[in-house]
Amino acid sequence: MKNAGKSFYIFIAILLAFIGWGGFNWLRFLSHGPGLTGSSDVVPWGIYISGLAYFIGVSAGATIVGLLIHAFGRHDYEPVGIRAILLGLLCIFGATQFVLVDLGVPFRGLKVPIILHNLTSLFLISSSSYYGFMAILSGELYFSIKVATGKASERDKKMAKWLGIIAVPYALWIVHAFTGSIFGVVKAREMWNTPMLPVHFVISAIASGFAMVILVAVITSKVEKRDLLSNETLNHMGKILAFFVLLTLFLDFFDYFILRYSAKKEAMEGWHILTGRYLPIFLINEGGLILSLLILTFKKGRTANGLLLATSIIQVAIIAYRIDLVSVGQLAPLFPGMGELYYHPTLSEISVALGLIALVILLYAVLSKVLPMEETAPEPVYASRGLGKTLWKKNKKRYMEVRN
Amino acid sequence: MKKLDRREFIKLASAAGGGFLMPDPLKVLNDAVGQLLGTKKKPASEYYPEPVTGARFGMVIDLGKCIGCRRCMYACKRENNVPDTISPPYIMVFETESATGVTGHFASPEMMGKGTTMFYTKLRKDKWYMPVQCNHCDNAPCVQVCPTGASYKDPDGLVLIDYDKCIGCRYCMTACPYGARRFNWWEPHVSRDRRNPLVPMRRHGVVEKCTFCVHRTRRGKFTRCVEVCPNKARTFGNFNDPDSKVSKLIESERNFRLKEGLNTEPRIWYLTKPKEKRMRWYRPLPPPKNIRGVKS
Ligand code: SF4
Ligand code: SF4
Ligand code: SF4
Repeated sequence: MKNAGKSFYIFIAILLAFIGWGGFNWLRFLSHGPGLTGSSDVVPWGIYISGLAYFIGVSAGATIVGLLIHAFGRHDYEPVGIRAILLGLLCIFGATQFVLVDLGVPFRGLKVPIILHNLTSLFLISSSSYYGFMAILSGELYFSIKVATGKASERDKKMAKWLGIIAVPYALWIVHAFTGSIFGVVKAREMWNTPMLPVHFVISAIASGFAMVILVAVITSKVEKRDLLSNETLNHMGKILAFFVLLTLFLDFFDYFILRYSAKKEAMEGWHILTGRYLPIFLINEGGLILSLLILTFKKGRTANGLLLATSIIQVAIIAYRIDLVSVGQLAPLFPGMGELYYHPTLSEISVALGLIALVILLYAVLSKVLPMEETAPEPVYASRGLGKTLWKKNKKRYMEVRN
Repeated sequence: MKKLDRREFIKLASAAGGGFLMPDPLKVLNDAVGQLLGTKKKPASEYYPEPVTGARFGMVIDLGKCIGCRRCMYACKRENNVPDTISPPYIMVFETESATGVTGHFASPEMMGKGTTMFYTKLRKDKWYMPVQCNHCDNAPCVQVCPTGASYKDPDGLVLIDYDKCIGCRYCMTACPYGARRFNWWEPHVSRDRRNPLVPMRRHGVVEKCTFCVHRTRRGKFTRCVEVCPNKARTFGNFNDPDSKVSKLIESERNFRLKEGLNTEPRIWYLTKPKEKRMRWYRPLPPPKNIRGVKS
């Protein structure tokens, strides 16, 4: 692997440890039953489904960058173009793995949708659409890499462009909106059953996904000690992100406003749980979004360091939102008199979730090293990667000059 | 001392809090192959008799006669091989205040409010008792959302689960407005001498619920909960037959169905007659214990 230092291998080892721990615990679930999780008959869905929702959301980032490059001609985004596609692909993969570990009979679950299927199920529709999304993103990745390495014919270039554009309506309309509808159509749960949910899901998905692309770009720049994107591009990214965060906050506000104002019985119970026992998660969600929006409004907040902070906060806030959406949405009892319901994820459940997150990070870390991530045109800079560390340090200034 | 087998030992050890359930890779591998290629076990669907042609089953529960003794809950549990790890079993019985306080009518489930509980231990004549189980909805949301088709609606009105198709995604559980479905969080164990051979055993990771005692009703018998009710609060029958007892009850008495606003078209009707005067009051069986996810 080129350009892989010692710290890289330590990082990989840590990730592998997490994966091993999670895999071990998953084996325990498989041997003894999903009772080792904190879910229950009253709160059937736990952090795995939150994880599914979060990862599906993040995959939206890939498509938005593709749209900016191919449809709006923002070629300054190209250094993150392939990275965003790879990220989207791995997030979709991660999401399917979250479904898999959530299933009670997971290997039978592999028969869905070919052998076992019921077409009225939104779970079936959305999870099958993930396969299609993976196919589109893989194609886009393949052609974009061809373009980047300069081996592409005119046709390949067109393919990369059009796959990038097709991916947007496919992702937003089919993948994300239908994933939001998984919850939106459940009339049994007042907290979920709103036509706003698909929209809300799409918008928060774009916010978290775009933030993740920025986060990855900034971290890559920091690790590789070079500027992947110009300050101007970062500034532009920050502005787009701020817009989507604002939109998410807007939708949040009116979602809760309508819920609170109409004051239906079960919805009120849900509201009291949301702002009572589970207040910290709610505060992390809304507070995080507001805080990141504040950071993004300043010009300083839209530089590398500011963005690093803001996008990290957004990730945490959106994870909190997914937990609120999935688990807290189920906590209002279906009948009064069932007692006080709760959901506390167990340590082994959390370890499996962390293992899956580590798996996605590991795959990204390795694949982004193995695959060409950027255009190889300005030779001197990239030749420098092959040089020894000292030589690189010594000549850094000169290389950077050549690059600029 | 009785010799403990391994499973029991594991269970005890983990119950004692000191235990740590270790994985069993060989068992998992075996299980995975079985899930993908099928096992030699008799398929669950073969346990179910064919749907009765021309029938439309349903149940009527007279709240004026229900004393809340929980006999149905425990009889159903025995009848359907429900393991102890599933709590509450298929039936939940709620105690609730008199709806209006005026006529003693139980007006509607929307009146279930203050003082409603599933955990009562003494029966009171001034309270109302309300059993809730799967309603075998005609527009069943659980059937609609099931990705595999494991949950299905039969033409005779029963909503059933094919345990060999269920992948345990639990979407049906979030979609059921009545909390009627139960998940096998652990491998279900029912000792052999207690097992009903007419009812298939489930495995861990699949969903189950009230079947309207498909193994009985499709063979011309009443459900177990109807049979066992000491005050005959429950009536089971064919709604397609205008002369059946259930059809007549629905025609002549005031009734409601649970959460009718959701348009699920439940097949259990509740009668709101005044409380029966001459009833036998039995001691209640104990309330459900160790319910996952419910603070006790
Ligand atoms: S009560 Fe629930 S489980 Fe039973 S048929 Fe209706 S939705 Fe399905
Ligand atoms: S848990 Fe089983 S029965 Fe329920 S929706 Fe999933 S596959 Fe269908
Ligand atoms: S009909 Fe049968 S399965 Fe359903 S609650 Fe009654 S006894 Fe249990």
